[in-house]
Amino acid sequence: MAILAYAVAATGGLAAALLGLAGVLGTAFTVRAPWLLPLGGLEVTLDPLGGFFLALIGAAAVPASIYAMGYAAGERRGVLAYNVFVASMCAVPLAANVLTFLLAWELMSLASYVLVVQSGEREAVRAAWVYALMTHAGLACLLAGMLLLGSWTGSFRFTDWYAAASPLPSWGPGLAFVLLALGFGVKAGVIPLHVWLPLAHPAAPSHVSALMSGVMIKLGVYGLMRVGLDWLGGGPAWWGVAVMLAGTVSAVVGVLYALVEHDLKRLLAFHSIENVGIILIGLGAGMLFYEAGLPALALLGFAAALYHTMNHAAFKALLFLGAGAVLHAAGTRDMERMGGLIKRMPWTAACFMVGSAAIAALPPLNGFVSEWLTFQALLQNLKIDRPEVNLVFALGIAGLALTGGLAMACFVKAFGITFLALPRSEAAARAHEAGRAMRVGMGLLALACVVLGLAPTLVVPALAKIGADVMHVPAPADVGGWLTLNVSGEFASLSTLAVAAALVTALAVPAATLALAGIGRRRRLYETWGCGRLLQTSRMEYTATAFANPFKRVFDFFYRPVTQLDIEVHPESRLFVRRIEYANPTSSIFEDWLYRPALDALHRWARRARGLQSGSANLYLTYILAALLALLVLA
Amino acid sequence: MFHQLRVALRTGIVTEPPPAGEALSLEALGARLHEEIHRRFGRSLHIRQVDAGSCNGCELEIGGLTGPHYDLERFGLHFVASPRHADCLLVTGPVTLNMAEALRRTYAATPDPKIVIAVGDCGRDAGIFRGSYAVVGGVADVVPVHAVIPGCPPSPRALLAGLLDAIGRAR
Repeated sequence: MAILAYAVAATGGLAAALLGLAGVLGTAFTVRAPWLLPLGGLEVTLDPLGGFFLALIGAAAVPASIYAMGYAAGERRGVLAYNVFVASMCAVPLAANVLTFLLAWELMSLASYVLVVQSGEREAVRAAWVYALMTHAGLACLLAGMLLLGSWTGSFRFTDWYAAASPLPSWGPGLAFVLLALGFGVKAGVIPLHVWLPLAHPAAPSHVSALMSGVMIKLGVYGLMRVGLDWLGGGPAWWGVAVMLAGTVSAVVGVLYALVEHDLKRLLAFHSIENVGIILIGLGAGMLFYEAGLPALALLGFAAALYHTMNHAAFKALLFLGAGAVLHAAGTRDMERMGGLIKRMPWTAACFMVGSAAIAALPPLNGFVSEWLTFQALLQNLKIDRPEVNLVFALGIAGLALTGGLAMACFVKAFGITFLALPRSEAAARAHEAGRAMRVGMGLLALACVVLGLAPTLVVPALAKIGADVMHVPAPADVGGWLTLNVSGEFASLSTLAVAAALVTALAVPAATLALAGIGRRRRLYETWGCGRLLQTSRMEYTATAFANPFKRVFDFFYRPVTQLDIEVHPESRLFVRRIEYANPTSSIFEDWLYRPALDALHRWARRARGLQSGSANLYLTYILAALLALLVLA
Repeated sequence: MFHQLRVALRTGIVTEPPPAGEALSLEALGARLHEEIHRRFGRSLHIRQVDAGSCNGCELEIGGLTGPHYDLERFGLHFVASPRHADCLLVTGPVTLNMAEALRRTYAATPDPKIVIAVGDCGRDAGIFRGSYAVVGGVADVVPVHAVIPGCPPSPRALLAGLLDAIGRAR
């Protein structure tokens, strides 16, 4: 039963992916049903950008659904919500007017809320509550922004906005941009609107986390692309500056939080924030170049953002599926209780390794290509002759470089602590390899990571065409041949195929030489070096906490860690220690300085307002009298 | 982070000038060592230091080798953190009962070909600790030894000279 439903989702995903691909390649159509609902009715249309996101969602839904056939085969809860979730996500990029868009958007949010809450655990319920609150705050912003734009331009169709954007009041597009960007930013998990993301993603089942992290938050990015470049026809430079700064902060802060996180799925959720940041850096660069009248560079930044969107969908979905397999096998999300899984689940480990290398932007995998493209776009900022804008670009470059290094460290930790060394718990020692359906799901995504890394020369021209359609500029003629990708003529070039060939040769030639020379035959096997100790146990291993500690110290002004040492001694003498507990938790700046004060203020006002509703009928009669008098006077 | 930067900026130079006259002969010794290592080991010799029960006198002198005055890395010698990376074991102290097995395991964990050098009088024959109930004996009583650097403790110069000697003798 459940398997059938997931098969439907996989088939639907495949169909959506093909339709989206057709849209990217130039097929366009519009379906209208104005009689169905007020405010313009339902209307869907396929254009290149919408097609790109549709293809992305469909292509991610296929492996996730196949995986779910093994992961959640016996679980009937959440099957309907999953299908609704996938279908509504597919509808969002197709929506052509406000009503259709908001309906699909809200359906997507509600379906994912149901999926987050379905396990029924305390933690999941709280996560779902925060998620519902934040996503509806975002929806309120979207609603306000879209209704404002609709009433100003007199149309609720998105395509009409572009034509009508010029006669708006001067502050109009700015206000609309801020409202819509806030609304989409919540969904994309942009810092400081990210609080729901590290709670909701781990609480959902892993195939849902993969879709939420891989594609749902990308729809926030989709909205930002539409509002920043398409609907309003671009805006002043501060739009681009805001997007790029938000991206830089999200990237750096996201990876910093990920580094000290030891819950595998929460770690991945924080990396989603980081990667959305990287996408926004590219998008911000595109918007700034567009505003400065440099369409070719704008296309480069935009294409980099789209490429990273696609890549992140591939490797983050893969990593979440891998984390799900680990969770399934070891029964915990706590990395400190894992270890040694590479021997027990080699397929999962190999797939997770590919995903880790891709997200850490190691060549020749896909993460490297898109981060490289983003850097190439940023590095050409001197063509804009404005020091304050160049400064913002410099911040973006520095932030992206720091992010890359820290992401690498974080995935050395994530892979090393989870899969290597000896198992740290009984459950990890008894872990078993994931089932066939799960392995197929992960394998497809790992393959996508490799292919997207090796074929940028096929992908980038298509992405540039999408960008040209969104920005209403001609597409660049040439981005190099099949082997080498050229950026802005002679500025930079990259051939991942050559890099891959060089890497393979560098590994294969010494191995072959050694084998031929017979070195391997004089091999001596000996146990793992354990500093000469007689006994080796998992307690001697490096832990995730230990790995993260140097970073905690260097960035202590950000983490503000608190050391809690609790020692219980024998009542006779304090020299005999019975128990030592050590904790070194970090505190969140955003919770302490932004959400806590805001919530406290809200509570204070609510308490004050409670005085109005005392339960006394006499008081209520007074209110009615006062209201009546006020209305009479005003009328 | 800011604290560390502040300390680094505020603290001046804290080292003292080297003793005069010694430098020339040290350079000559170092140059020969460098040449010998280059000839026999390609480029560099990686040393794993093992404390098999030493009083840490020898360790102080060995530590002096890595300081700015002797700076043995310029001659192609490196101390490494694991016998897996080492070509040479530098063993100090009388081998105590508790460390004998660890020393054997270290020896086994070092890839072939390898050189073992016993350092100090204790390393040679357990020195003043010979015959103690807690001591097995000199290094040679536990693992094969290729060279001995005597002294209590040997000075860094003597250590360099001993290394040169040991490398010269190694096949």
